[in-house]
Amino acid sequence: MKIKIAKKIFSENDKIADINRENFKRHKIFTINLMGSPGAGKTSFLEKSISLLKDKVQVGVIVGDITGIDDAMRINKLQVPVVQLNTGGACHLDANMINNSLQDLPLEEIKLLFIENVGNLVCPADFDLGENIKVTILSLTEGDDKPLKYPLIFKKSSALIINKIDLIPFLEVSIDKIKKDCLLINPTIKIFKVSCKNNEGIENWVKWIMTMIL
Amino acid sequence: MHELSIAYSLLNLAIEECIKRGFSKIQKIKITISSASNIMPEALLFSFNALKQETIAQESILYIEKIPLSGICQSCNTKITTFKPFIIECPVCHDNSLNLQIPDDLKIDEIEVT
Ligand SMILES: Nc1nc2c(ncn2[C@@H]2O[C@H](COP(=O)(O)OP(=O)(O)O)[C@@H](O)[C@H]2O)c(=O)[nH]1
Ligand SMILES: [Mg+2]
Ligand SMILES: [Zn+2]
Repeated sequence: MKIKIAKKIFSENDKIADINRENFKRHKIFTINLMGSPGAGKTSFLEKSISLLKDKVQVGVIVGDITGIDDAMRINKLQVPVVQLNTGGACHLDANMINNSLQDLPLEEIKLLFIENVGNLVCPADFDLGENIKVTILSLTEGDDKPLKYPLIFKKSSALIINKIDLIPFLEVSIDKIKKDCLLINPTIKIFKVSCKNNEGIENWVKWIMTMIL
Repeated sequence: MHELSIAYSLLNLAIEECIKRGFSKIQKIKITISSASNIMPEALLFSFNALKQETIAQESILYIEKIPLSGICQSCNTKITTFKPFIIECPVCHDNSLNLQIPDDLKIDEIEVT
């Protein structure tokens, strides 16, 4: 016989993401899942942001890479707690990896947690980590056609960081096109233009983050 | 993508629903997938068929139905449905005010049991 079920299927990942979310809530931690292509400037952007943020709020960082500890070494110089997560091949972080690495962070002392996802514009968008917001960073050197080619990640992000605007004189890209396409995909996305080279726009973004966590 | 993990969840959910109602064998599972989802039906089917072995769903068939995105163009009022992952432009008047509704990623619709 036929039985009507009509229930949402939650993957194992979604279940663990909910556990993480509860954990963050209990510790009053605001969590940002930072996504973007390899070389978009995720680590540079974290370095710049943390330099300005760390006197205002206690920051913690999880950096995900397929292999290596380079990014963690860079963040470590800023003297904030950091965990390097190696996925050993996986092209994205999942909730279980985050759940495990939380054991290595002093959660009581953290109010703002950045998670640098593995460089990729596709898979990270599908994996809820339990974060409060997703933020995507797109650098101008990647071209202005990326929002329309990878709509899902922009659809799911609360903010878009357009990075490397110092390179504008050397490139043929339209920031207006990136903004326009992104807003069509996601009318409520907040857009910041920044340069991690000359610090332009970083302060604006930091101000916005501070309003989110208060 | 995480098809294996999804196949595992849906198989467990179906088995749970079957046993809860006092049945002992699943013949068919019908699920729906949103067109916006990145899930690949072929990969999901492959994972499901591997996982169902030695369960009460061993002889079951998995049916996957794709659900289109839908919306009404704010400019020309045309009702739009599409099986593409996303569209920006109204196919009729080319305006960009589609107001697309994106269905739930993944749902178990019905099961057939004995
Ligand atoms: N010119 C310029 N280069 C940048 C900027 N941000 C990052 N980079 C460079 O881009 C490269 C990749 O940066 P990284 O932060 O490692 O990117 P990730 O792979 O996304 O973490 C490095 O060589 C950075 O120095 C920027 O705003 N302007
Ligand atoms: Mg990096
Ligand atoms: Zn129209």
